[in-house]
Amino acid sequence: MRISKGNLIAIPVLIVVGLLWIYPFLWTISAAFKTQGGLFSGGASLLPDQLNFDNFVRAWVNAGFSQYFVNTVIYAVASTAIELVKSALCGYVLARYDFPGRTFLHRMIIATLFIPVASIIIPQFVLVDQLGLLNTRAGVILAMSGAAGALYVLLFIGFFSGVPSDLFDAAKLDGAGFLRTFWLILPLAKPVIAVVVIFQFVSNWNEFNIPLVFTLGQPELQNLAVGMLSFRGEHSVDWTGFAAGMTISFAPMLLVFLFFQSYFVRGLAGAVKG
Amino acid sequence: MSIETVAPPKRPRRRDRAPEDGNVRERAKGFDKIWILVFLAPFLLLYLGFTLWPLVATVWYSFFDWSGFGPLDEWVGTENYVSVLNDDLFWFAVLNTVIFAVLNTAIKLPLSLFVAVLLTRKWLRGKKVFRTVFFAPLIIPVAMAGLVFTYLLNPSNGALNSLLRDLGIIEESVDVFAGRWSALIVLVLVSIWQIFGQYMIYWMAALQNVPEELYEAADIDGASAWQKLTMITLPMIRPVAVIIVLLALINAMHVFGLVVTLTGGGPGTSTYVVSYFIYQEAFGTVPFEYGYASAAALLFSVIAFIMVTSQGAFVRKANRLRKEYGV
Repeated sequence: MRISKGNLIAIPVLIVVGLLWIYPFLWTISAAFKTQGGLFSGGASLLPDQLNFDNFVRAWVNAGFSQYFVNTVIYAVASTAIELVKSALCGYVLARYDFPGRTFLHRMIIATLFIPVASIIIPQFVLVDQLGLLNTRAGVILAMSGAAGALYVLLFIGFFSGVPSDLFDAAKLDGAGFLRTFWLILPLAKPVIAVVVIFQFVSNWNEFNIPLVFTLGQPELQNLAVGMLSFRGEHSVDWTGFAAGMTISFAPMLLVFLFFQSYFVRGLAGAVKG
Repeated sequence: MSIETVAPPKRPRRRDRAPEDGNVRERAKGFDKIWILVFLAPFLLLYLGFTLWPLVATVWYSFFDWSGFGPLDEWVGTENYVSVLNDDLFWFAVLNTVIFAVLNTAIKLPLSLFVAVLLTRKWLRGKKVFRTVFFAPLIIPVAMAGLVFTYLLNPSNGALNSLLRDLGIIEESVDVFAGRWSALIVLVLVSIWQIFGQYMIYWMAALQNVPEELYEAADIDGASAWQKLTMITLPMIRPVAVIIVLLALINAMHVFGLVVTLTGGGPGTSTYVVSYFIYQEAFGTVPFEYGYASAAALLFSVIAFIMVTSQGAFVRKANRLRKEYGV
């Protein structure tokens, strides 16, 4: 049968490629348990020469990863929430209502979808500075949630303009006002919400550029991605400590992804369908 | 992200023709107007502050000799532009960025499409596991992925060299970061490894939207799997594909974190990309050159915009030609 033949060829190939693909992860996890010496002589081997948690303790306590971890959680949760709220509200209005300037705004959003965020970071820096928020958590959150979002507005517009108007008519017949109608319709957008939350949470968790620039010289405000650089000394890198820090930082994300995996593709497909 | 959303509004929308899945926008009345403003406010405020104003400000700063501190009073006119245009390193960084973006897109998109098609086959076992595997690199910060690879690829005891030595393939260790081209290629490959899952998911989403009936009809006609792929799947996902290509190019042109940790622009300045160049000018080396960096950022935006839109225009033209010839 063709079915089994396809699997016979595809699965071994996928397993080999897949193992290569996650090798850097496996290496990192195993390095997190190794001694410096074991790491240097180990080559490509994945078997740690010891099994203790020294490196994790060093990362968590001495290198300040507990602080980085807390910061990362705060940044990721807060900016994701802001991203979600602003794009859902804006997308809903743009999809449902006609008002002066609607087309213009829609076009602007599409046009700026392709603006290189990195290249306008200087004025963002100046703006945050003038708001008096430089080197504060609020400043980082604002910058992180301010820049992106055009794509998510478009996703929400796509979704909400696909909701049958019968639903809105029914809500109106029941005497639901603007806000109540929105609350009734919003749960339908779960797939889009899932996409926005996952994409934005992962990218906020890993955000490097903004925390780097907005917390220059303020290690107590840095997130995991930037704080990881503290293992890079002037002349050498504390590789095992770094590996432990990496493991601390990607473990929660792996859980999030495993948890929401099925939502993910389904949600994106629903959103693209618009 | 559908083409419907992104297409110019002038074109007749599908929902106008198919009322069952769409609706007409309401004209705002009375109290609703206030609610509309309230709903738009969060997005608009952040959009103004962090997208539109920075754009305008970048233009403004670019006419000053300014270090980022103190008053903005040293108007130099177009001097910054002239010096950027005469800065060999800037053009070199542009060249590297373009090489990187094109190579990156040309490799990752076909590969991720292939994997997406494979991982959406009904007969395949273990789809969930493999999807997770390909998605996994996305969950580590790009810059950190760069650091891991600097170790894995280092010539003295990195995994790659040790393995190749143990297998007797090479005698002497290879330092991939020593040469411009090998360093660039490493950048391209690591960045593909990192972002692959995202594009795989984009393609999967596109593939899910191909109506099942088309495949059923093709089955009845006795079409082979290959025919179904080339004659149904690929043409059906073409509109979304255009957007995916645009996103891929744009994202690739902003490569930054990976360059910082993987090559640091080196050896020397040979893997400088534009965002790294801007960062170095603006924040990396004292005295800070905000005005100069702004001019560079703006010039690059223009270059990127022209590249991307010409690519879009090229696709449109190709589509038109294809229609004219009826293929």
